[in-house]
Formats: sequence, C-alpha cells, structure tokens
Amino acid sequence: MASSPPSSSAIKDAKVLMVGAGGIGCELLKTLALSGFPDIHIIDMDTIEVSNLNRQFLFRQFHVGQSKAKVARDAVLKFRPHINITPYHANVKDPEFNVDFFKQFNVVLNGLDNLDARRHVNRLCLAANVPLVESGTTGFLGQVTVHVKGKTECYECQPKPAPKTYPVCTITSTPSKFVHCIVWAKDLLFAKLFGDKNQDNDLNVRSSDAASSSKNVEDVFERRKDEDIDQYGRKIFDHVFGYNIELALSNEETWKNRNRPKPIYSKDVLSDEPAQQNGNLEKKYESDELPVSAMASLGMKNPQDIWSLKENSRIFLEAFRLFFTKREKEIGNLSFDKDDQLAVEFVTAAANIRAASFGIPLQNLFEAKGIAGNIVHAVATTNAVIAGLIVIEAIKVLNNDIKNYRMTYCLEHPARNMLLMPVEPFEPNKSCYVCSETPLSLEINTNRSKLKDLVEKIVKAKLGMNLPLIMCASNLLYEAGDVEDDMVAIYEANLEKALAELPSPVTGGTMLTVEDMQQEFVCNINIKHREEFDEEKEPDGMVLSGWTQPVSAAENKDKSVGNGASTSDALITAVESEKDDEITIVSTLKKRKLPDESDISNSAAESKNQKQLEVIEDEDDLVMLDGDSDSVKKRRLS
Amino acid sequence: MAEPKVKYDRQLRIWGEQGQAALEKSSICLLNCGPTGSETLKNLVLGGVGSITVVDGSKVEVGDLGNNFLVDEASLGKSKAKCVCSFLQELNDAVKAKFVEESPETLIETNPSFFSQFTLVVATQLVENSMIKLDRICREANVMLIFARSYGLTGFVRISVKEHAVIESKPDHFLDDLRLNNPWPELKRFADDIDLNVQDPVAHKHIPYVVILVKMADEWAKSHGGRLPSTREEKKEFKELLKAGMVAQDEDNYKEAIDSAFKVFAPRGISLESQQILNDSSAEVDSNSSDFWVLVTALKDFIANEGGGDAPLEGSIPDMTSSTEQYVNLQNIYHAKAEADFLVIERLVRSTLKKIGRDSNSISKSTIKSFCKNARKLKVCRYRLIEDEFNSPNLPELQKYLTDEDYSIAVGIYILLRAVDRFAANYNSFPGQFDSAMDEDIPRLKSTAIALLTDLGCNGATLAEDLINEMCRFGAAELHAVAALVGGIASQEVIKLITKQFVPMSGTYIFNGIDHKSQLLSL
Repeated sequence: MASSPPSSSAIKDAKVLMVGAGGIGCELLKTLALSGFPDIHIIDMDTIEVSNLNRQFLFRQFHVGQSKAKVARDAVLKFRPHINITPYHANVKDPEFNVDFFKQFNVVLNGLDNLDARRHVNRLCLAANVPLVESGTTGFLGQVTVHVKGKTECYECQPKPAPKTYPVCTITSTPSKFVHCIVWAKDLLFAKLFGDKNQDNDLNVRSSDAASSSKNVEDVFERRKDEDIDQYGRKIFDHVFGYNIELALSNEETWKNRNRPKPIYSKDVLSDEPAQQNGNLEKKYESDELPVSAMASLGMKNPQDIWSLKENSRIFLEAFRLFFTKREKEIGNLSFDKDDQLAVEFVTAAANIRAASFGIPLQNLFEAKGIAGNIVHAVATTNAVIAGLIVIEAIKVLNNDIKNYRMTYCLEHPARNMLLMPVEPFEPNKSCYVCSETPLSLEINTNRSKLKDLVEKIVKAKLGMNLPLIMCASNLLYEAGDVEDDMVAIYEANLEKALAELPSPVTGGTMLTVEDMQQEFVCNINIKHREEFDEEKEPDGMVLSGWTQPVSAAENKDKSVGNGASTSDALITAVESEKDDEITIVSTLKKRKLPDESDISNSAAESKNQKQLEVIEDEDDLVMLDGDSDSVKKRRLS
Repeated sequence: MAEPKVKYDRQLRIWGEQGQAALEKSSICLLNCGPTGSETLKNLVLGGVGSITVVDGSKVEVGDLGNNFLVDEASLGKSKAKCVCSFLQELNDAVKAKFVEESPETLIETNPSFFSQFTLVVATQLVENSMIKLDRICREANVMLIFARSYGLTGFVRISVKEHAVIESKPDHFLDDLRLNNPWPELKRFADDIDLNVQDPVAHKHIPYVVILVKMADEWAKSHGGRLPSTREEKKEFKELLKAGMVAQDEDNYKEAIDSAFKVFAPRGISLESQQILNDSSAEVDSNSSDFWVLVTALKDFIANEGGGDAPLEGSIPDMTSSTEQYVNLQNIYHAKAEADFLVIERLVRSTLKKIGRDSNSISKSTIKSFCKNARKLKVCRYRLIEDEFNSPNLPELQKYLTDEDYSIAVGIYILLRAVDRFAANYNSFPGQFDSAMDEDIPRLKSTAIALLTDLGCNGATLAEDLINEMCRFGAAELHAVAALVGGIASQEVIKLITKQFVPMSGTYIFNGIDHKSQLLSL
C-alpha cells in the first residue's frame, strides 16, 4: 500500500467552488476528482459547441447544445461515482450566488474566460473571506495566481488591460485597418439588418443635417412589400457601399489628408449576375435541403481563400438572401455569433467590400472570423498544465501553507530555459480600490454628463458592478434591482439629469459612494469637474483614476494584450528591464495611431453620437502582470 | 467535410493547416498507460493525431481508480491497455486506437522492430535500463522518442531524437525585419521623396517612423564617415536629434521613431546562431539530404551573393502612425522586396536540387516561401544518446548544478529519480512504498544516491536531507495533478516535434511541484 500524500487530510474535508466548465474547467474538474476532493460545486452558464471538442474532453459530439456544467458533472461521476458534484447551469452573476453562498466554500477556483466575471468573483471572495485561485490560458501561455484577503493582492490589485475599443468616427467614417471594417460590419451593419431594431445604431452617422437625413435613411432599410429579396439586397448593398461612400466624399475636409474611398455599386461588380442568378435559382429550388451557408450555396470550399471583390459581393447578397428566406423568424433578434457560419460569411464579405472601398487589404474568412469573434487560440496541453498547477496551489491554500504560495506563469521562452516561472504573491496593493478601500477620482463635465452616463460607463463598465446603488452624502440618487414602486420613477428621472442638476447636486469636490449589494463591495469616488475632453484619447468624455498613478494608467492604455505573443512580450520586457541591458527591448506590437481628428471640426450631431464600440474577448482570457516594473523586481524564484 | 475544421478551429489558429495535417498523419505509441501516459495521450487524441497504440501489460487495480480518469469501476481486473484504448477512442473517433497487452520492457527486449512503424514513441514511467535500450532502437529506426515520468510531486520529461530541424520556430520575442540600418534602393527612394520639413503639421505628424529613421540614419552616416551610432553617447545624441525634429508634443510618429531608434543601432547581417547553421556540415548536401538542408544551402548562397550579407526580407511591417496612403505604399515596398528575394531563393533551391540529382520541383513553392519568411529564425536541435548522458554526463555542468543555489534542487531530483530505480532493483520496492520501511529506506536511498554520484565522477557530492526525505515520503506515487502537468508538458513537446513548429525543449526537464519550479538541465 503506497503511503498517502501529506495533503490528503485537508482535501478530505474541503468544499470547493469551480467557476467555469470550459477548457480549464474540464481539466480542473477531472483533476480535482482524481486528487480526492469529495465535494465540488461548479457554475457555468454556457452550452457545448463543436469548437470546444478539441480540448474540453468531458464533452462528446452528441452533447453539443447541452449545459456544460451538467454534462461535466455526469462525465466525471462515471469514473468517480462516490463524490458529490453539484452543477449550476447559471451565470455566476445571478443573485443566488451571493456572499452567503460563497462563504460555504473552503476555496474558489476560477476557470473563466472573461474579465467581467473574474472581477465579480474576486469581490465576492473578498467579501466572503474565501481564498481564490485564478487562472487563464491562451495558446501555449497561461498563468495561475493565488488571492487571499489581507495576505496577497486581490485579482484587481494590478490593472488589467481594457478590451480593445475604437472611436466611433473611425469605424463609421475613416477606417484604416481591416479590424475597423470588421467592427463596422458586425456591430453596425449586421446589427442594423438582423438585430434588435430598438437598439441605437450609428451605421449612418455623418456630418450633414441629422434630422431629415435620418428619416430618409430609415426608408432604405424598410423592405417594401413589392420588393423581392434580391432587389432589397442590392438596394442595401448600393446604399451602404455606394451611396454612403459618395455622401462621405462630399465632405471634402475629411479627405484633405487621406486616401479617398471608392464607392462600390452592385451593378458595376456583378454586371453579369442577373442571368446567372436565374439559372442558380432554378437549381437551388430543386433541392429540398439547402445548406444555410452562402459558401456552400455558391460552391466555395476553402475558408482560407481570399475572395475577390466580386466573390465577396456574391457572398454578401447570398448570405443576405438566405437570412431572409431560411431564417426569417430570427431577424430582429439576432446578435453576431462566431459559430454561426452564415453570420460569419456575411460579416466577412461586408468587411471585405468596405476594405476594398478604403484600399485596405482583404482577409479570408478564417482570419475574419478570428477577429470578429475575438477568438483566442486554445489547445488541450496548456489547459492540462494549468489545471495541474491550480490543484497543487489549492492544496497549499487548504493547508494554509502561505509561504509556499506561488503565482505561476507558463512561458515559451526556451532561451532562458523557463517553462514555468513562479513568483511569490505580492502583498495587497494599498492603492487598490477593491481590497484596500482607496477612493477613486473621476474627472467629468458635471454640467453636461448625465447620471446615466456615469452609471453605464464608470460604475458598470469600469468598476464591474452589477446592481449598483449610488449615494451622495446620505442622499440616495439611484438604485438598481429590487426597488419600491414609488422610487422607480424618481431613479429613472435622475438617470436623465445632468450631475449638477440632481436633487443632491454632484459638482467638483463631491464625493459619491457606490455600492453593490450583491458583491458587498463599496467604494468612494471623488468628483472633479472638467470642461473639455480629447475626443480621440478620452472618447468617454470622462476619466477615472485611482488604482494606479495617472502616468501608469496612461501607459497601460497604450498597451494591447490581445494575443499570446504580445502578452509574453509584456512579461519579457519586465524581465529584461531588471538587467538594465544596453539595448532597450521595445514591443513590436506598438499600435499604429489613427489619423488625428482634432484638426477636423465635428458637427454637434456627430459629437452627440461619439461613443466607443467595445470588442469583448470571448475565450479563455490571459491576464498578465504588467505596468509597474518595480513590483516585478520582487523576488523571482526560478 | 466541414466538421474537422470546426472541431479543431481553436488549435488551427496556432499551428495552421499544415501543422494539423502533420498531426493527422502521425502514429503515436504509448508505453505504460498509468496517469502520466494517459494524460499525455489524451491531449494528443484531442488534438487529432492519426493513430495511437497503447502498450501496457498490467490489469486495472483498485489503486488505479483514484488517479486515472481513463478507467472506471467496470474496468477492474481487465487489461489496462484495452480499457484506456477504448476510452480514448470514444474521445475522438477520427483517431484510430489500438492496444497491445504486453509489458513495454518485454517488447523492448524481444521485439525491437515493433517500434519502427511509429512516428513517435511516448515512453512513460520507464526505468533506466529500458530507457537506454529503447533510445537505441528508436534512433536506428528514425522514430522520435520522448520520455515522461511523474514521481510524487516531481516530474521529468526528456526528448531523444537524432536531429530535429525547425523552420517555423515562432519565437515570441523577435525584432521585426525593417532594415533601417541597411535600406535597399527602393526604400531609400521612398524615404527621399518625403520631406521631414513639410510645413503642414498634419502631414508632419503622419510621416511613418520608418521613413524618419531611414532619413535620420542617412544624415548621421554622412556626417560621421559612413558609420551609424554605436557608442552610448552617439546613440543618445541620435535620439536627441530625433527629439529636435518634433514640431509638437503630441507627434506620436516621432515618439515611435525615438522608441525604435535601437533598430538603427542593431548589428547588420545574420546572427551567430544562424551562422552556425549555415556552417553545419549537413549543409554540404548530397542526394540523401533532407529538404531542410537543401534550403539552407540555397540560403547560404543567397547571403553570400545577392543578399549582400543579409537573409531574404520577411516583408511585413508593424503598426505605426501614418497616413493610410503612405502606410499602404510602405507595405508594398516591403512586399515587393520580399517577393524579389523569394524568387532568387527559389531559383537557387531548384539549381541545388538539380545538382544533387533530385527533381528540381520536389520542394514546393509554399515551403520555400515559408522558409524565406523564417530564414532568420531557423533552429536545429540535436539530442545526446540517453546512454551517453547516463554513463558519461557533462561533468563540469553536473558539478556546477550541484553547487548552484538555483539548480541544486532540480539536479537533486534528477539524481534521486535515477537513484530510486537502483533502489528498486536492489530492494524490490521503491523507497517509502511501504510505511513500515520508511525509517530504513531513507538512509538506503541516501547511500544509493551517493553511490550513483560517485559512479558519475562526483566524489564527495552531497544532496539535501530534506529532498531525500521528501522522495521517500512520495512512495513512488503517481499523483494525478502532477501527472496532468507532466503529461501536458510532454504532449506539448510531441506536438512541436510532429508539426515542426516552435522549438522543442533541449535538455532534461525537471518539474519541482513544491515550488512550481521547472528547469532544463543540459547533461
């Protein structure tokens, strides 16, 4: 009989919460079960997709569409039938997962794929005083970090890279990179044609008279009763790729220092289509089962071929037609899904046509899908390594083995013989507004900005609160969630008011208290009034600071960690800087800046519609230690 | 059929269609399917290798149920190889799965030709003697081999291949190929047509930093006898000149130029490592040479002649502040030069093939194009025979590790992993395997390890008492979490070997689960 490992006694009594049953989650659940953990709870809101199967090995082809949490539980119980696994097919942000829920666990293990949920779990673990082991992977890179209240940094002590965003005017008027065309095609055109009609849409933002032109534009997107699908499709095509470009060209000032785009009309690109189209129609209708794929319909096969302008136009019109003939019931409710083949085809074609207009190199569907879906590379091996490390770390946590806690980064840097790079966890950041109760500072124009803007852009987007409550001194300005009926109207009215006009005026020098009842998280925001904001650099029209020095914050804004390579760059740069080499290594991923807008006068109408389109990461998220190089110099153990 | 593309979508984005095709053509043999072997193979089956063969002579026991997810209670008493194979087949039906119910040690002794059918052999939990024999067998058969072992909180991974050449090494951290210190005529001409003193502030702030640096480097060279900045003072002065060229504080293109000034200072020509490959004796090609060495021969010729000391240009440029028009024009200049270089290399490859008596079209255009794009990043890995490492390690390295504070634990684990095998041979069980013998086993393991060190030529060397105690407490257990990690590392290296992308690890990998350290030992 082999002697049992010393960790077994702590495991025997442990109750563990796992959040996320995807790539890391499958590995983690299996490893926990086979390491002797008897009581595991698992939360995941997702269902299983085909593209999960290359690494989420608890799932089979026939499970596609089912709950990840439940299928994972069933799969593991087959080889470990005597343990307790409780699955929740739910969002970890749901109200039932409150602080009391979290308090029942000895340790929480995150295998999440988005920043929002990670921050949420971080707050709940702090409030419940439960240790958190956080993790992420992308490609061959990954990390495991330990967060124990009062002893280590919390997850939010180090600033995390914000999702990549672009100024609206770049997307709508002056794209210079293919990604701008993708965002336009996906978030504007696709949403306009197939999405929720009540949603604000900037597809037709422009500098001319807003009122009358807006009305005319809406007519174009209405399908007349006598209009067949092909006519309607060509009308849309000519409007967005032809007429709108002509309209943009009429504003001479915009193109003074830029390449002028070329209008594209369907009759010029597809001059011989009508006859061919009729032939195709006959063939198509003979078949009972038409594939809902424009590529299949047109006989195209390789998603890595770059389609010509003509091919893109045919794909555009065919995908458009298929949506209206095969998926008509979904129109009005669709949002882009990277695993929706027809949607990907439509967005790829639309982006390519727009790129052709602006002289930007075209891309194949495979690449376009990766950009549009924010797909992060994912492979089984890294998940296996990271899950092994998580469990080893969880055992240390349960044994209260503080001096052996390690944050571990999985790197591919063979020249340094590092595959794992352990670092001792840092002490809590005294400037962290989440775990160290440091007040934040917000620069904002209190005469023009509405409370609604503050709630959406700062409290929810930046502070990550779900159900915020906002107080000014002892006066309640706003509360989300369960509210008495007579207060709802007051809060709704407050949202539409400028800060300075609220019943308790919010002006320079005011301190707001913001609280999330579910997260039991409170922080204070000091308001500073500021009249003007740079539209290019500060498109939100307000600037929040407080978790790092303003300079560091500015630096972090310039960095983009969107793929494995640049992530490694960031860490390698930190490592290099310690040696003070003669040659300074500079990240090769420095962003090309967009042409400066400040010299061009924008109309009031355009200013009003200024806002950012946010690109949210979708897969396993790799979050890297970054920014403050002093903290990196803390003792490294390799 | 669309299905495989969808299923493998997330990994295709790492190693591409060619990499995936290589995986799907490969056949893998696994020796011993305990936790470490099962974890390794599971990752490869998920990745879509062509076929697997599981070799294990043991039956499923109660102890297996606690740490191997590829067996369940219904498997008790049955062939472990058969059960694991069946489960893996279920994981991905595109993979052909077979099993052999035979102990690996027996196959190694009695049927060495068994291994020649495979692309790669994963040998787990083997003891020293079997490793030595298997290594010799695989090298003779040109079969790639990787060893993996987990032992308590420690682990070990070691590749053994005669030679592994990599074109697509995909280093994380590699300077872009801009030639700012050595611009070719077309780039020079493009830069000459742009006026750094243009009056329009909008135009000034959109001059690409590549142009700024090419022009400034040219001016500097003219006033410094043709030399570029090389001393610290000169580099500083060069940056000050750039700063003086800024018209406004917000000119990001000039900030980018200052940040990228080091690209002007970088040495010309190819790296020492690339030079070593060009001078390798394998670059004297004949009709038996691999495609890789034919390509290297052509590259050598190019660098000595048309390339003027440089490798073919890669052709891509990073993001930078620029007007769209100038950026696209700059892109086209780099593309055109890369294309021209590619055509020269292609001609040289065809003529080299002809010279050695091979079909001049036997290396595809796309392979040559990929080679050109990666010409600065080639890697050649060669691995020592296991027998040589075990019997005649690099003694100075070994002694250095034993006394180095950072490496002493890793090398201690290495020595003890070999010592436990000797221990098992002498005492018929691994140290600490039975609680009752723990007190006796500790000094026995210590003396076994000391004897091993003496045999290796390290008289008087010592190992930490703590480490010896820990190894005994492990009791040779194969912990699932460690097996998951070691299996993950091993399978990742297998993928690199088969796809010929990225660079496989070059030494003996030691995992220390107490500290999460991992190190490569070169012995």
